[in-house]
Amino acid sequence: MNGEPIIRLRRLAKSYYRETLEIPVLQGIDLDIPAGGYYALMGPSGSGKTTLLNLIAGIDRPSAGELDVCGFALNGLDDDELAAWRSAYVGFIFQNYNLVPVLTAFENVELPLLLTPMGRRERRERVVEAMERVNLMDRMENYPRQLSGGQEQRVAVARAIVSNPELLVADEPTGALDAKNAEEIMALLEGLNRDLGKTIVMVTHDPKAAHHARHQIHLEKGVLDRTVEVNR
Amino acid sequence: MTVLYVILMPYLAWLTWAAIRYPVPLSYNWRSLWQRKVSTLSTAGAIGVVVAIFVVVLSLDQGLSRAFVSSGRGDQAIVIRPNSRVELSSTIERDKMRILKTSPLVAEDATGPLVSSECVVVRSLDKADGDGSSNVTVRGLEPPGIRMRDQVRLVQGRWMTPGLNEMLVPRRMQGRFTGLGLGQKQTFGGRTWEVVGIFDGGGSAFDSEIWVDVVTLMQAYKRTMFSSALVRLRGAAQVPGFAQMVDQDKRLKLEVRAEPDYYAEQTEAGQPIRILGNLITVILTVGAIFAAMNTMYASVASRTQEIGTLRALGFRQLEIMASFQWEALMLCALGGVAGVLLSLGFNGIQTGATNFQTFSDVSFAFLITPSLMAKGLAFSLFMGLAGGGLPAWRASHIPLTEAMKGG
Amino acid sequence: MKFLHLILRSFFRSKRRTVLTILSITVSVALIAILQSVLATLDGFANNPDASNRIVVRHKVSITNMLPMRYEDWIRQQPEVEAVMGLQWFQGVYIDRRNFFPNFASEAEYVTAIFKEEIVDYSDAQYRDFLRDRNGCIVGKALADKFGWKIGDVISLQSEIFPITVRLTVRCIFRSKRPADEMGLHFNYKLLEEGVFYMKGRTGNFFVRVRHPDDVPKLIERIDRHFRDAVEPTFSETENAFQLEFLKMMGNYTTIIQMITGAVLVAILIVTANTMAMAIRERTIEISVFRAMGFRTGQILLLLMGEGVLLSILGGVFGLGLAWAMAGAIRNVAGTFLPYLQNFTIDFGTMALCFQATLGVGVLSTFIPAYRATRRPIVDGLRSL
Repeated sequence: MNGEPIIRLRRLAKSYYRETLEIPVLQGIDLDIPAGGYYALMGPSGSGKTTLLNLIAGIDRPSAGELDVCGFALNGLDDDELAAWRSAYVGFIFQNYNLVPVLTAFENVELPLLLTPMGRRERRERVVEAMERVNLMDRMENYPRQLSGGQEQRVAVARAIVSNPELLVADEPTGALDAKNAEEIMALLEGLNRDLGKTIVMVTHDPKAAHHARHQIHLEKGVLDRTVEVNR
Repeated sequence: MTVLYVILMPYLAWLTWAAIRYPVPLSYNWRSLWQRKVSTLSTAGAIGVVVAIFVVVLSLDQGLSRAFVSSGRGDQAIVIRPNSRVELSSTIERDKMRILKTSPLVAEDATGPLVSSECVVVRSLDKADGDGSSNVTVRGLEPPGIRMRDQVRLVQGRWMTPGLNEMLVPRRMQGRFTGLGLGQKQTFGGRTWEVVGIFDGGGSAFDSEIWVDVVTLMQAYKRTMFSSALVRLRGAAQVPGFAQMVDQDKRLKLEVRAEPDYYAEQTEAGQPIRILGNLITVILTVGAIFAAMNTMYASVASRTQEIGTLRALGFRQLEIMASFQWEALMLCALGGVAGVLLSLGFNGIQTGATNFQTFSDVSFAFLITPSLMAKGLAFSLFMGLAGGGLPAWRASHIPLTEAMKGG
Repeated sequence: MKFLHLILRSFFRSKRRTVLTILSITVSVALIAILQSVLATLDGFANNPDASNRIVVRHKVSITNMLPMRYEDWIRQQPEVEAVMGLQWFQGVYIDRRNFFPNFASEAEYVTAIFKEEIVDYSDAQYRDFLRDRNGCIVGKALADKFGWKIGDVISLQSEIFPITVRLTVRCIFRSKRPADEMGLHFNYKLLEEGVFYMKGRTGNFFVRVRHPDDVPKLIERIDRHFRDAVEPTFSETENAFQLEFLKMMGNYTTIIQMITGAVLVAILIVTANTMAMAIRERTIEISVFRAMGFRTGQILLLLMGEGVLLSILGGVFGLGLAWAMAGAIRNVAGTFLPYLQNFTIDFGTMALCFQATLGVGVLSTFIPAYRATRRPIVDGLRSL
């Protein structure tokens, strides 16, 4: 783990508006996450942890404050630049896997590569590599409905890493899984962090899952409560 | 279409029975439709367009038929040369006309027998929209001829004077052709004719004719023979007798047609419209049924869970089917009402068509009758039945287990 | 294109919906193609390149007034004139009115000279037989085939305009470049003159063939000027203009057909937009995932609109195919009532036009829901379960 922060947040704030009523979700967040870090965002529902994750991942925009991720000031990017940035630097893992039902596992994983200038052959190599990583070589031609929940989530992990992004964001990745499958996914993420040096930011309310991270960030009513290093 | 309804009758009866006997509340369907406002409105809109086209095209035919049907009187007959079909291609010699006028079956008024010797020619007039010219019937008639056509009223100016180059013009023709204003002049048959009166033919075929004095017209055109005769008899019952009398008179060699029959045959001019209308209707109905089906399937799919709940509450398959069928009917009826209202905008607009029997123009109006509107609505309901049937069946046959699982 | 398979997969996501939508576009496009072809067919009559050096002379007052036959002599003396022929529309009925076909009383000796472009291929011996036989007639091959006529057959035509029925012997059968030109019948003018006393020395029209098309305007002007002060003044125009006059009689049908076409297009637009809105709405989350992964607005629009366009292309192609398959039946049915429609075909230009219109509808109908989907915040989309 080198000391250079890959994520740098300063006085970050986010509010939503219901009619004319302003609802603050995040206030004055200052946070540095070093490259190669593995952080779990925790807190009760409504504490703003998912919003913070969305801001870091560049799919939501802050109301105020600065936000540098992977060397880019996200505030300065327009929608298309932000999209290009996401495709280059961020891999997503969702609670409900969100695989495209009409595409095979292989094609689902290939999706992010379609945004790169890669040729068919190179794409295939990369997909196979990612599928090996999640240990689903024998399920490549299956459609999502032919897979179990755990397998679906592993395909989703492969999709997140296939374009080799520096940052992985995961929103309750084990939320829809049973204990055994959850454990498998967490081991997978841990490996990605350890072996490939991926920076991972994960929202979870499951203490067992959070225990796999190196650091736990606790949010309370939109402000940072405390950051805890996980002892193993 | 009537046949279709006869076939569907038992189904409709069952639907009604189902709605009364085991009511899944219809307001539930109504609210469900409203839930998917955009989808409902766009489907209803498409059906509305189809119904509107259907009604408007038929209203053309209706207007045309009205023009001809309202032209005839039951106790009057038209005398023409056999096989000539229309007055334009008929000829009657003067002495034959005299024989007709002295027939004892002919009705009389204070001025004499109600027989009008007439001469019909065609004249092309410039159209008001600048799009060239169109042929128009010019009818020369005798003074009784005007009185015998009760549906014709003078609305401006005066009747023409026999022997002068004066003409009467229907009000409805004025908007469609130029140079027909009161006091304006037209040249034909080598003479100049002045418009001295404007009449209203009450939507009859006479709304498409220019009237002049028959003697003057024949002089101008150097005709020695009349085209036809209009005869009023002592009663409608006398028409066959008169026809027989004319038929048996070796001197005449003429044909008698009851005036309503004569004009009814002219409605053939509407044939192209009818064919076009039928073609359009059949094709568009199919398209609209598919669209309605699509919407209903989507509606069923998004309510799998609701259906499960209804089943769990004890509603049976048939009732669920009826419920969705009613929803499809409502959806299409909504479109039907919209379509009929849309088509009403066309009611009364003047237009014209060419009667290929006479090569001349017929003025008439789009006529949207209540029965036509009812037809349009019935038509939309038919689409509801045909388009809603399969989705409703599907709704009633979703396995209960799947329905309870949801989504 | 690497996105193509994504579009195709999504396209068949809900097969039933896709099929139903395509079918409803198909029938609507078929209807539009047929209606537009009716108009195009009618227009073709007034834009016949074969008729470019023919003039039609008629009575100035109306088409139903007759001209003296002797006018022909003066016209024939004009230096630009190649041939002149008196011709009268006979409107004869063969057995039943439904068997309609155009038939004319023509000056037999000039028929082939005037209609050189239509009467292309015939046997000289047969043509001489036609000229020799006062009761003879010359018919097109397609017409003869339709009723099974052979040389020597006797047919009778009862006129709806004149008080006579003529009995004609088929003497000559000709071929044309286009089958539609083979649907006519000409018989000897003298037969009409003898049978109808008021037609003696009179005819409805003169068809004039000019040596060079450039001379047409000045000849028209000269003919009308010459007969201007005669008791029966003339009105001359090109054959195309003459046909156009008949077509204008149907002027209102044209407007109605155009209105219906417009309305049907609106209906397709609504139906397609509805389908695409449904397809896009049920994929809200998926679209957000795509966008989160880095798909840009333009790429998302491309994916979604590709689907709508595909829908309309397939509907359009099937619709045109259906219209094409129906063309023959329409020619037979409609041709009976509107003689002009005996030429009914769905030509390439009309197809292209209909196809473009359908494509336009596909683009337009998908753009609105697709654009809305790309404007929606990604976070909202991900949350909407």
